[in-house]
Parts: sequence; C-alpha cells; structure tokens
Amino acid sequence: MSILEYNGAAIIAMAGDGCVGIAADRRLGAQLHTIATDFTKCFRMAPKLYVGLGGLATDVQTLHQLLEFRMNLYTLKEEREMTPQVFSHLLSHLLYEKRFGPYFVEPVVCGLDEKGEPFLSGMDLIGAPVTAKDFVVTGTCTGNLFGMCESLYKPKMNPDELFECLAQSLLSSVDRDSVSGWGGIVHIITKDNVITRELKGRMD
Amino acid sequence: MGDSAYSFSLTTFSRTGKLLQIEYALNAVANGRTSLGICAKDGVVIATDKKLTSELVDVAHVHKVELLTPSCGVCYSGVGPDYRVLVQRARKSSQVYLTTYGEVQPVSQLVKQTAGVMQEYTQRGGVRPFGISLLVGGVDGDGTPRLYQVDPSGTFFQWKATAIGKNYVNAKNFLEKRFTEDMELEDAIHTALLTLREGFEGEMNCDNIEVGVVRNGKFNVLTPEQIQDYLDEAN
Amino acid sequence: MAALIGNDILDIGSRKARRQREDPMAPGFAFGAPGQFDIPNVADPAAYCRSNFASVCGTGDEDQSVKFMKGTTTLAFKFNGGVIVSVDSRSTMGAYISSGTVKKVIEINPFLLGTMAGGAADCSFWERNLGMECRLYELRNGRRISVAGASKLLANVMSSYRGYGLSMGTMIAGWDEKGPQLYYVDDDGTRLKGKIFSVGSGSTYAYGVLDNYYREDLTIEEAVDLGKRAIYHAAHRDAASGGINNLYHMTKDGFVKVHSIDVNDMHYQFAEERARAMQS
Repeated sequence: MSILEYNGAAIIAMAGDGCVGIAADRRLGAQLHTIATDFTKCFRMAPKLYVGLGGLATDVQTLHQLLEFRMNLYTLKEEREMTPQVFSHLLSHLLYEKRFGPYFVEPVVCGLDEKGEPFLSGMDLIGAPVTAKDFVVTGTCTGNLFGMCESLYKPKMNPDELFECLAQSLLSSVDRDSVSGWGGIVHIITKDNVITRELKGRMD
Repeated sequence: MGDSAYSFSLTTFSRTGKLLQIEYALNAVANGRTSLGICAKDGVVIATDKKLTSELVDVAHVHKVELLTPSCGVCYSGVGPDYRVLVQRARKSSQVYLTTYGEVQPVSQLVKQTAGVMQEYTQRGGVRPFGISLLVGGVDGDGTPRLYQVDPSGTFFQWKATAIGKNYVNAKNFLEKRFTEDMELEDAIHTALLTLREGFEGEMNCDNIEVGVVRNGKFNVLTPEQIQDYLDEAN
Repeated sequence: MAALIGNDILDIGSRKARRQREDPMAPGFAFGAPGQFDIPNVADPAAYCRSNFASVCGTGDEDQSVKFMKGTTTLAFKFNGGVIVSVDSRSTMGAYISSGTVKKVIEINPFLLGTMAGGAADCSFWERNLGMECRLYELRNGRRISVAGASKLLANVMSSYRGYGLSMGTMIAGWDEKGPQLYYVDDDGTRLKGKIFSVGSGSTYAYGVLDNYYREDLTIEEAVDLGKRAIYHAAHRDAASGGINNLYHMTKDGFVKVHSIDVNDMHYQFAEERARAMQS
C-alpha cells in the first residue's frame, strides 16, 4: 500500500461563477484503523485562498506549517497578499525542493485572484502542477471523486449550487472508499466572504 | 577567509562614531560620472554620463545602464567593476524569486535585497564597501513606477527624482525646479537629458550618455538613435 | 454414476483432488460437484499455488506469521438464551468498497449458521458444501449432526487444502442435543470451541465491547443489544467494516433473524441517546 494512502483522504476543489469551493472529509486513520473523525485537511492561507492537503497526515501538518511560515514572511516583506497563482507556484517549488525525499502530500489550491476570478490547481507530491477551470481532486478515492465531479459539475454555478455539488460529490465518493469519509467540511469562497459548512456523513 | 590576516572588517568605527570607509566610499561615488533618475506618473527614466577617458574606447560596448528584470533596470555612479558584482547579484536574486513565486520580482524587493548585499560588505571581514551608488527604476508589485537610490552603506531611498555622482548637488537643484507631480514620461525623459546636459563637461551626444526607460511596465535601454531623437527634439 | 457421486462427496476432504482420469465430457459426470478440483501438475502444488496465485490466496501476505482476516467484522457468542451471531455487510477490494450489502451469515440449515470472513468465494462454497454434507448425514443417520461434528467436517476440508491458499475464518453456531454450540474454524485447519469469538479486521474492536459487557446470564434483549453495539463500534473504528448489521439468534427451535440495521442509523441513534443521557 502506498504511503500516500496510509491515513486516507478525499478532497475536491471546484470553481463556480465568481466563487470557488473546497470540500474535504474528516477522517484520520492508520490504514484501516480510524483514529479521529475531526481532522483538518483544508487550510485557509489568505482571506480568499485555501489549500487542501491530501496524503500522509504528518506531512500534511508539516507542510501546512511551512506554508504558513512562507506566507507570513511574504506578507511582511512585500506588504501585500499572496495571489493564488503565486501561492500555487511557491507550493510547487517547495515540493520540488524535496524531489529526492518528498513530502507525501498531493495538494489542491483554490482561491479567488485579485480580479475575483476563480483559480484552481492541483499537483503531485513533487510539485508537478495542473491547473483546471472546473475542478481538481486529491486523496485516496480520486477515481470516485472524478466520476462524481464529472457528472455533477456544471459551469457557472452560484455559491449555493456549488455547495450542493461539492457536498454530493464528496459524500457519494467517500461512501465507496473505506479509508476516507466519517463526515466532511465544505468552504465556499465568494468575493465578500467565506461560508463554511460541516457535512454529516456515514460514520462507518 | 577566517584565518587570513585580513579576516577583520575594514569598516570599523572611528572614535567619533563614524564609519570612515563608508564616507570614503561616498567620496568615490561623488567623484564618479553623474547619474540621475526621474519617476514620472506613468514610468521611470534613469540616465547617466558615459564619458570615457579616451576617444579610442569603443563606446558601443560600454554599458552603464543594465536590465535586471523585464520591468526593472539600474545605473550607477562610482567604481565601475564594483557595479558588475552588484548587477550579477541582483540578477541572480531576481531569478531565484522568479523560480520560487513564478512572478517577476517587484523593484522594492530587488532593492531591499541589493541593499542587503551592500550592507553586508560594510560589516564582513576581508572586504571593503562598494564604491558605488545605484539608481534603480522599475515597477512594484501593483504596477506603480518606482525610483530607488542605494548607497554604499546599504541605505536606500525612494525618490521622485534624484541625482548621484559628480555635480549631483547642482543636478538635484535643477531637478527640484523642474519636477512636477503630474509629470509624464516623455516630459521626464526630456527633463532628464536637460539636467544631464547642465553639468556636462564638453558636448553631450547620443554616444556619451546612456538612458534607460520604464514604460508600460517594461524596462528598455534606449539606443543611440532613440537618444538622438530626444536630443533633436530638445534643440 | 450416481453411486460414485455419493462416495466422492465424502472424499472431498480426505483425498484431496486425486483427479479421476475419466472422460470429463461423459454424460452424467457431475459438473460443479465439489469432489475434485484441478490441481497444478507439479511436484509441490501447494507451493506452486502460493507463488503463482497470491491474488486469489486471500491476503497475499503468506510471509506473515499471523494471517489476518481482512475487511470484515463478524462475531458470535453463547449465552444462556442461545447463541447470538452478528455481522457487518461490507466488502472491500483494496480501499474500494465493492459492496455494502453482503450477507455474511450463511444459513447452513435451520440449526446451523456459519459466518463469512476472508475470501467470500471460499466461505460460501465450503459452507454450502457443509450444508450438503450435514443433510446427507441426516438422511443416513436419521438425526441431525452435532455442531461439533459439522465443524469438524469443515475443519477437515481446511486441513486437506492447507497451503493451497484458501482464505476463510468462520464461526459455526448451532443448537444440537447438548444445547447451544459455538465453534471457530479457519483456513489453517484450526478448530476451536468457545463462548465468544470475533473474526475479521474489526474483531479487536468487537472483542473490546464483548469482553466488557458479556455475561452468561444476559437476557435475550441484552444479548441482541450487545451483539449490535459490538458491530457498531467495530464498523465505526474499522475502515473495512460497515454497512448493515445482520443479527441472528440461535434458539432451541432453530435460528431467528433478529434484525438488519444500517450501522449509520445506529450511529446517530446512539449519539442521540448519549446526548440525552448527558442532559439528564
């Protein structure tokens, strides 16, 4: 079994009309053993920028701390907020720096850029970036997630539709994956605010 | 370096609390060819005197205005070879920034970084301070034009318009009279040439000066032909 | 041919697969009769199976000294009121959940229940076969086979195919002349008699609950609740267990299927109960 699947995860980032959303499950496991059902895999890096880190939980936390550190340093030095594009590039760079001893994390980035346009990207554990207009997924059931997103996604969704699409995609996907699920969380980022909702999921 | 006889810093305090090496470095700058810059509302111009010791030097291959990033350039007054070291450092820094963030380094960051290098040379063992001051023109993260001066001590200032090198006091006085807040780039280029001509020893022409311009967020060194066009317009 | 089948069936375990060189297409040849399986024609067929068919040898971790029954929770316990058999319904292929509605209790006959853990095909085939054997015993002897006898038949089969990669961890629960009975049989040929068993990746969690609350004098309601809760806790903690809790009660009159409850409904029901208990 891959070390990326040791703890289990399911994360989706999806774009709507002038809004983006990110959804993640809440499970922390050690292979089949469920340790916690309130684990955080989505992090707010700036007011309109979220990153979802799927993979080995210890690296998820370490990488998040490193990203916080670099973000704080950047805002202090440059006296401005990091755009999603720059953040994604920085993350990719940080991951490739560890090319021969990688963080076992496959991130997704989502946010609104300075023009309020949605930005989405995903990358593998050594930082090969993929940008998408519609959605990106990561975790232990990407097959399920892609299938659900592919069938539920439609362009130009408003925040409510986007929430519904993310929630349904996530819940249905994790119900067919043994190592992710146990509830979920959805963040919808709009130009004015971020709406966070918790999802009740199957607890087995 | 650590165990050499010169591993101590040459820049040490005098009894009066001054760092004499830095003052000497500033003298070296003041003896250098005049450089000046103006930050207009839609761009920046930096210009420098490129007069050489002999008529026989091929001026086409002497460059005193250099590009650092696509949106940022620099010129200097003082000791020529020291300039090359700083240009190389600044270019490297901007490339590291570009590979890290995927974005061109804003001029403010580039100036901070370069000023850091210059400060380091006032404190480290075995080195002397740089004998130059820099004028850096470029655009900031949000696209606004900026003009900076960096001194041998590592100090840096942001200017609306300034001059360094020989005759800088007169040149600055001249600029103070000519500069206006709503100055546009074309106007600024003319003012820069006019200011440079004021203190120029001998005839100023398109070959013995060099001009760099930031226009629409892009930095360019003007060709002798382009400079000639501006000079012709002035006459 | 008919006479031949009768004898052959009883030979499954003891004379494993010494294939009869008869024309397989001859009319009346019992296709699908479990008597004979094709065996690789090599010096050590067991080793050959292990090294070449790891993917169908259950877990593929033959090197491990302890072989786990993955991807399930099944449990059974004996008490004064009979035997409770309680299982989940999840089936996984790696991390993928291939089904959430598997029947893991095999109704061998009204007085015998078997549970399924490990390879689904191995369990269902050999327990169906066991049902047939038990029926034949009944016909021959005019009385039901004891649970000890039935479980021994299954254990003998497992012994005879030891090393070929069968994957099965089962509990045989029943009621015979001596009362309620419970045995554990697995693919190593192990056969154990006991009061409480749990098999599968979620068994440790189930044991935790069972060991804590088990008593011999549980009422039937208490026993049902214990069986249900043990499966719930295992399904909650174990990623490879979940779905529906199927619970059977073996009585002196044969088995009764008590309930089929979605584990997820149980979770929120228990959470509500806890919240109410906290308030009062």
